[in-house]
Amino acid sequence: MGVSILPPSAPLPPRRDAPTEDSDVDMSDDELPTSNTASIVTPGEHITSDPQWMRGHGTYVPAGSGTIISTVAGSLHKTNKLLSVQPLRARYQPEIGDLVIGRIVNVQTKKWSVDIAAPMLANLPLSSINLPGGILRRRTAVDELNIRTFFSEGDLLVAEVQSLHQDNTASLHTRSLKYGKLRNGLFTSLSGAGGGILSRKGGVVRSRRQVFTLNTAAGEIDVVLGVNGYIFISKHTVVAASTTETGINRLDEQVTETLYSSQNDEIEAPVMKEITRVSTLIKGLVACGTKVDEDTIVKVYEGAVELEAEEQSLGGVEKGVGAKGVVEAVLARLEVESAG
Amino acid sequence: MPPQAALVNLSPAELSFLRSALSQTPPLRLDVTKGPRDFRSMRAECDVLPSANGSARIALEDGTEALVGVKAEVDTTPQRPVLGEQEHVVTNNGDEDSSANGKGRNGWIEMSVQVPGFRDDDALPVFLASMLSDSLLAGGQLKDRLYINTRFHWKLYIDILLLSPPLSYPLGLLSMATHLALLSTHLPSLKSEKDEDPLFDDDWAAASPLYPRSSSKPLTARDMPPVIILAIAVGPNIIFDPAKEELAVADAVLAVACTTSGGSGAGAKIVSIRTIDPPSHLTPPAVPNSMNSATGGTAPDSSAQALTMREMLATSGVWTPPRGGMKRGLVSQVTKMVVEKGGVAEEVIGALAGIEVG
Repeated sequence: MGVSILPPSAPLPPRRDAPTEDSDVDMSDDELPTSNTASIVTPGEHITSDPQWMRGHGTYVPAGSGTIISTVAGSLHKTNKLLSVQPLRARYQPEIGDLVIGRIVNVQTKKWSVDIAAPMLANLPLSSINLPGGILRRRTAVDELNIRTFFSEGDLLVAEVQSLHQDNTASLHTRSLKYGKLRNGLFTSLSGAGGGILSRKGGVVRSRRQVFTLNTAAGEIDVVLGVNGYIFISKHTVVAASTTETGINRLDEQVTETLYSSQNDEIEAPVMKEITRVSTLIKGLVACGTKVDEDTIVKVYEGAVELEAEEQSLGGVEKGVGAKGVVEAVLARLEVESAG
Repeated sequence: MPPQAALVNLSPAELSFLRSALSQTPPLRLDVTKGPRDFRSMRAECDVLPSANGSARIALEDGTEALVGVKAEVDTTPQRPVLGEQEHVVTNNGDEDSSANGKGRNGWIEMSVQVPGFRDDDALPVFLASMLSDSLLAGGQLKDRLYINTRFHWKLYIDILLLSPPLSYPLGLLSMATHLALLSTHLPSLKSEKDEDPLFDDDWAAASPLYPRSSSKPLTARDMPPVIILAIAVGPNIIFDPAKEELAVADAVLAVACTTSGGSGAGAKIVSIRTIDPPSHLTPPAVPNSMNSATGGTAPDSSAQALTMREMLATSGVWTPPRGGMKRGLVSQVTKMVVEKGGVAEEVIGALAGIEVG
């Protein structure tokens, strides 16, 4: 099957994990123009002028009137007497402490601008990265001149949001061995995941483990899920700790040797295959509108490997079903298994 | 604001990873479920615009969507001044005039491509439009079909809209949408004869298709508008319908326009072929550890030294942009894979014809 072109499909069925009824209290007796939560409100649409409702996220009350107006396109949610609109697509809103993956957009004299899928670019000052040759080194003028040897345009990095400025631009830091430049792997992004309130509805879930190692037949794979919807899947690298001298500083030195390297290690073909497979499955999960977290990734990955093995034993391996098709098949199987 | 963002915005480590994945045998594509000859799955429909003579819409699964409308207008053919006596030109109700072969002109087809985020005179839309119209005109049959009589002709306006930002190089998608739109194009049937002022039938049901359909002949024999197929070469591998990331590490990109072979029955025939400069040529090379002062190496003192150090580099895993063009052997291999019986062109044209039939 080389080329598959289909006629347009009917409207998508409701998301798999979407709750059927979102409101906490039954309010059928109240007067609301949009009675069913499945309907979508658009920016500027009047939601209600009934004074009993309070406005929540995604809504607005113009001065001198009691009408609640939607400010985003999305679905209406009611929590007791609070009305909020959950946007269908939103950019990531950074919060302090978030683990994010970013891409360097430009290099300035003492800082980098980083794309983290937020409305504005984030800053990464030269003073908040680990300099090679030990953490506790003073930043010098030479480091400023060599700023491109640490990160240059296009480089991917994993960082934490250190602080937020008044205009909601984030300031990042990589002052931990967990953070730094990313290599040996593949980048994927979920668009419009938003984070925060949206994480209920697909996208990366905050407050779950975001950096984990996946065991595969070929070897271990590291997965980093950024809260901003950027994902990096790479080969698991083991720091060869010497047995004689396992001090904290010793470990640091070994890490910093390759901290800012932009060259890949030797990656075996089977590992490479598993990395691309995980990335494809994550794209499929997004296409199916499912949450992306450690649990689902591990479950779907194992299911997909099992499915492929079965197909191979039966003879014909169906090629070209696409990421979405594979994930749908795996999810259907998992559902059957949990039911039976 | 910069006029145009860089085409490739990937880190050297990512480029190196993608490149080594694609040069495996068999190649590991970004979507592992796809083989090297598989196209991304898409959804298509015909006749979406009621006021156009023909139209089509194709959406890829990643959200890239193209809409094409074909509109025909009757236009007067300017009479060329003729030296000497005029009598030959005045009324031409002779018999030698009945066939339209070779009377079409290139100017009768006007094509416009709009890509969001690009101005009309930006390089990408202009280049796309010229490639698409070149392949349409190269066949020669289409413009002859627009001939009505010595004084009048049809003028075909083909408007191509990309509805989403170009997530990957959109040439293949636009060409397939144009193909579908032209297949669904109908022109009102002519009631007047010869050199009279043209008069058309009001009945839309009597309109004749621009590319006539015949049930008796097999698909390969039917005259079809051309389809452009994109292929990239990565090392020894040939990959069709590349995604943006795959295109970013390509050695060479080839756009092959082909149509049905018409009569002979097997495979397809090439209408035009072009190489496209791959964006990988513009990527900066990675700095190897041995040349990076942040990883314990020594930075070279001069650009000449940097060059020699790079040439002597033996380690894999360092991204080096591909150099040079496409090998002749690869070009012939690609064209063979496209045109052979049961090749890529036949699959694409067959799948598109399936949509048109409904």
